[in-house]
Amino acid sequence: MKIDFIEPGPALLVENTIKVLVIADLHLGIESDLAQHGIHFSSRSGLRAARVRDCIRETTPDLLILLGDVKHSIPVLSRQEYNELPEIFEGFRRMVPMAVLPGNHDAGIERFLKDGELQKKEGVVIDGVGYLHGHTYPDPSLGGHLILAGHHHPLASLRDDVGCSLRAPAYLLASVASSCLGLPPDEEGREPTRVMFMPAFNELSGYDILKIVKDPFSPLSRCMDAGTSEVFLTDGTYLGPVSSLEEDGRD
Amino acid sequence: MEEIDRLDPAIRACIKKRGFSGLSEIQIRSIPLVARGKNLILIAPTGTGKTESAMIPVFNSMLSHPHGGFRTLYITPLRSLNRDIMQRLEWWCHELGLTIGVRHGDTPANERRKQALSPPDLLITTPETVQALFMGKVLRKHLKNVSYVVIDEIHELAGGKRGAQMAVALERLVEYGGEFQRIGLSATVGNPEEMGRFLCGKRPFEIVSVPVAKHLEISVDFSGDSFEKQAEWVSKSIDHHGSTLVFVNTRVTAEALGHQLYSRGDVEVHHGSLSKDVRIDAEERFKAGKIRGLISTSSMELGIDIGHIEHVIQFGSPREVSRLIQRVGRAGHQLNAVSRGTILTTGFDDLLESLVIARKAKANEVEHIRPPVGPADVLANQVAAMAVEYGEIHRSRIHRILSRTHQFGDPDTLLGEVCSQMAEHRLIRLEGETIITTGRARRYLAANLSMIHDERKVTVFDMVSRRTVGTLDESFVVGWVYTGAVFITKGQLWRVLDMEDGKITVEPARKAKGELPSWEGEQIPVPYDVAREVGALRRTREFGRYGHKKAPEKFAVRFLDEMDRNRSPVATDSRIILEQAGEGVICHVCAGHKANEALGRVISILLSARFGTTVGIEIDAYRIYIRLPSGIRAWDVKEVLEMLEPGHLKGILELALKRTALFKWKLVQIAKKFGAIDPDADYERLSIHRLTDLFEGTVVQKEAYRELFTVYMDVDAAARIIELLKEGTVTIITGSMSILGAEGLFSSRDEIQPPSTDQAVISTLKRRLEQQDVVLACMNCRKWKSRTVVSRVPDVPVCPNCGARLIAALKPWEEGLYAAANKKKKTPEDRTVEIRLVRNANIVLSSGKKAVTALSARGVGPENASRILSTLAEGDSFYREILKAERNYIKTNRFW
Repeated sequence: MKIDFIEPGPALLVENTIKVLVIADLHLGIESDLAQHGIHFSSRSGLRAARVRDCIRETTPDLLILLGDVKHSIPVLSRQEYNELPEIFEGFRRMVPMAVLPGNHDAGIERFLKDGELQKKEGVVIDGVGYLHGHTYPDPSLGGHLILAGHHHPLASLRDDVGCSLRAPAYLLASVASSCLGLPPDEEGREPTRVMFMPAFNELSGYDILKIVKDPFSPLSRCMDAGTSEVFLTDGTYLGPVSSLEEDGRD
Repeated sequence: MEEIDRLDPAIRACIKKRGFSGLSEIQIRSIPLVARGKNLILIAPTGTGKTESAMIPVFNSMLSHPHGGFRTLYITPLRSLNRDIMQRLEWWCHELGLTIGVRHGDTPANERRKQALSPPDLLITTPETVQALFMGKVLRKHLKNVSYVVIDEIHELAGGKRGAQMAVALERLVEYGGEFQRIGLSATVGNPEEMGRFLCGKRPFEIVSVPVAKHLEISVDFSGDSFEKQAEWVSKSIDHHGSTLVFVNTRVTAEALGHQLYSRGDVEVHHGSLSKDVRIDAEERFKAGKIRGLISTSSMELGIDIGHIEHVIQFGSPREVSRLIQRVGRAGHQLNAVSRGTILTTGFDDLLESLVIARKAKANEVEHIRPPVGPADVLANQVAAMAVEYGEIHRSRIHRILSRTHQFGDPDTLLGEVCSQMAEHRLIRLEGETIITTGRARRYLAANLSMIHDERKVTVFDMVSRRTVGTLDESFVVGWVYTGAVFITKGQLWRVLDMEDGKITVEPARKAKGELPSWEGEQIPVPYDVAREVGALRRTREFGRYGHKKAPEKFAVRFLDEMDRNRSPVATDSRIILEQAGEGVICHVCAGHKANEALGRVISILLSARFGTTVGIEIDAYRIYIRLPSGIRAWDVKEVLEMLEPGHLKGILELALKRTALFKWKLVQIAKKFGAIDPDADYERLSIHRLTDLFEGTVVQKEAYRELFTVYMDVDAAARIIELLKEGTVTIITGSMSILGAEGLFSSRDEIQPPSTDQAVISTLKRRLEQQDVVLACMNCRKWKSRTVVSRVPDVPVCPNCGARLIAALKPWEEGLYAAANKKKKTPEDRTVEIRLVRNANIVLSSGKKAVTALSARGVGPENASRILSTLAEGDSFYREILKAERNYIKTNRFW
């Protein structure tokens, strides 16, 4: 198995027997929610969808997996979503078959999806890799696999000698305790279950990795072993363990 | 007296009744011009009867013209000034049978309704309320008859966005009732013609100006650099002169000085953070002679009448010539009386700067006021206002209204850009060339009548001293503050521990790293010209030409002599000195705050690009302190400076600023005025560092740059310094740190602070621990306990009952444990408690009061206390250990 970091996504291309393009947390329609909270600007869904299509064009995958929170409005669909989603999905379908792992923001998404596209929210194993959005406990079948998950929007803050100089979307990889997640116990000699939290494709979202580790807010993040964690930038640059991001300026 | 004779007999009677023997110079010159219908800019010091000069002829013609609607608008920048003007003009109106009213934010609803039903002939109001007048149907009708608009303290408005907004409002007013006569009353400014263009656009106008200099008597003094000495000097001066107005530059200084002088019993403090009642009370008591000294920030600068002022003290450099003139002008306050003022300087920079400013004031070299050219957010605000006013309005009409103003004289491109941006965030709708209002536009307008940024305040809470340190503006928080961030406010470094619900919890930080955001809020920048002349004075050292007092001169000479003895080169107007300091390089450039700000940022981005690291800067009017990782030296900075081209600064800055908090801060402010972000927007919704991307390439971003490059920094002045460097008029010398460098680093001129931040943290902790309640309980006889405070605990506590030294030190809420530990029949829990108390007592037995102190700290129990004591740390390091333990405790238990 091989994983490519698609930087302009951020997205991952997972190659095993087939090529799977994975994109997490599009949050299409976030603008109408922001407007309700006092921040007004026009919809950027079109731009976001175009970026997805660019990734598809660049990687020619056999399958596109949208890792949840494809849309934004809860508990009901917004007018913006009614208007925008059908066309955006049609645009994806014309290029590649797609699968959606529903997230906590995906209420009502089924009406825009074709048969077979919607997966279980507890996740599925496709071509040897586990996929789920990440707000639920994973399906037992995901145990022992690498699990790709969204929901957490990890963001790394890098500090140099003089102070903070960069905040960038990043991937967080860590092993998870099977027992904690209710997965079947790890078999002898088998790789431990690992989870890779993907950064949000939505350019407005981001949540500091240190906060994810310190105040976990999902089964996956609660059960991960921070000691084994590794952080990667969107181009695959290995930053080091989470502990290397901790501020060293304290005395 | 022929001017008087031409006036209406009723007016002449009033003048006589008021007891004026004649007209003042300014009145004689201005009355005929106003009477002949000329637009007029009237420049004179406060207290020379400017208001009457404008109003006597206006009253004169109001008498001979028909009634109905508002006939004269008298606009001032401040509500408190409105009150004052109202008191002064009420009498005249009463005598002349005219009606008068005041309307602003504080006006009660019933009064407003009365004004709508029967509008007063003369309405005293603020620019923001004028905006509101356009929104009401009935009030709008009353605007048709306006024939005079008088704008008081016009210099206060012209330089900013409030003024730009008002200029458009005046042209919107013309749309109702045609042209009216415009009269602007101004303090001394360097460019009166610009004031005229600001008021009148392309219409002709006359200027009547009375130079202020001949009325001023300004001296500069120095009483040592300790704050106590300075306060003592102020106190003596009040004794000597009687009624004294003391101007300070910041609220912090006002409070500190007030604190030193309160014990006199005849001194009060007056500043914007105090409630209205407190301020009015102070004004009235001063007026009545009950107090002799009033300590004030700029809140007392404008012409509010507080009675006779014998002497004005400016505490510290006034920073600007106009400010000095305005402030000292408050003294005397009778026609032709001389105004006396003294600048009490507090240090070397401060002293030289004050000498220069005093000279300039006497020579009438006042700063120019630069009205902003085409501020896009003001335009957006006024487009929205007109959309609401008319429901729908054709673009060409807006264009016509705008092109009559000076500031939007050629609005073509800008108007287009602004309209499409507003349509983009749905504040207006566009149908072809027609601009249509929306429901949100009205709401937006109601919240944005003013161009003053009205911001939410975020409380800063210090975890160490457990008190509120102050407040930050929300936009600063948006741009800068995240968990772990370090910033400066109140002259101290703070690290953010937590943010929630409009509250930031911080701890004092010791290490200062990075581009440190600093929140001073009230900084008054020193202009380029003043800083250059200070540079020249450092070069010539001809202090005798500037002042006559001995103490200041002696101090300045002594300071420079010491520089010479240390072989430290002194930065002047022809030399830039780069000094290697502890954590970076101090660049001494005599160019003023705004030029240094621009220059500092350019240097930092270039160094940052070259060495791939973040570079921090702090600036004042004479220095740029660049914080650098070790390894980057003064000559690296020199190389960067020498390679700079004047023409490149703007481009470099645009790139450099994009990622800074300063830019984000400005962007949020402007986006708010554009209606793209609501005043109560919830930023948590959005990773804020992405916000800037949303406005990439838009007119909002352009306006943020325009404002930053002109208001916050002065790119043109910075380019001038680089030009001088290129020509060789200015040279660069590198050296090691001097006392002049240290002055900038360690003495903040506006803040009074302890010698070092670390020291401050520790003394706060010490103070807190000493005041901590503690319960001493004998673990030997088990029959004595006593509640006291840590400071009263003896070095070796002994039980008065049995004489043992096995004393446990308990926190007040642990007092109950003593009974539990002494029970006859103990549960297992009681047993644990007993062991704990004995352990506690054993620590006190071996370490005495030191142990009691450690045990009083937050979250420090016997385990932590013995760990702290086992380090054998003494003095400050002992307290540092306690701080560390508290910090650890707080990190694990989020108890606040």
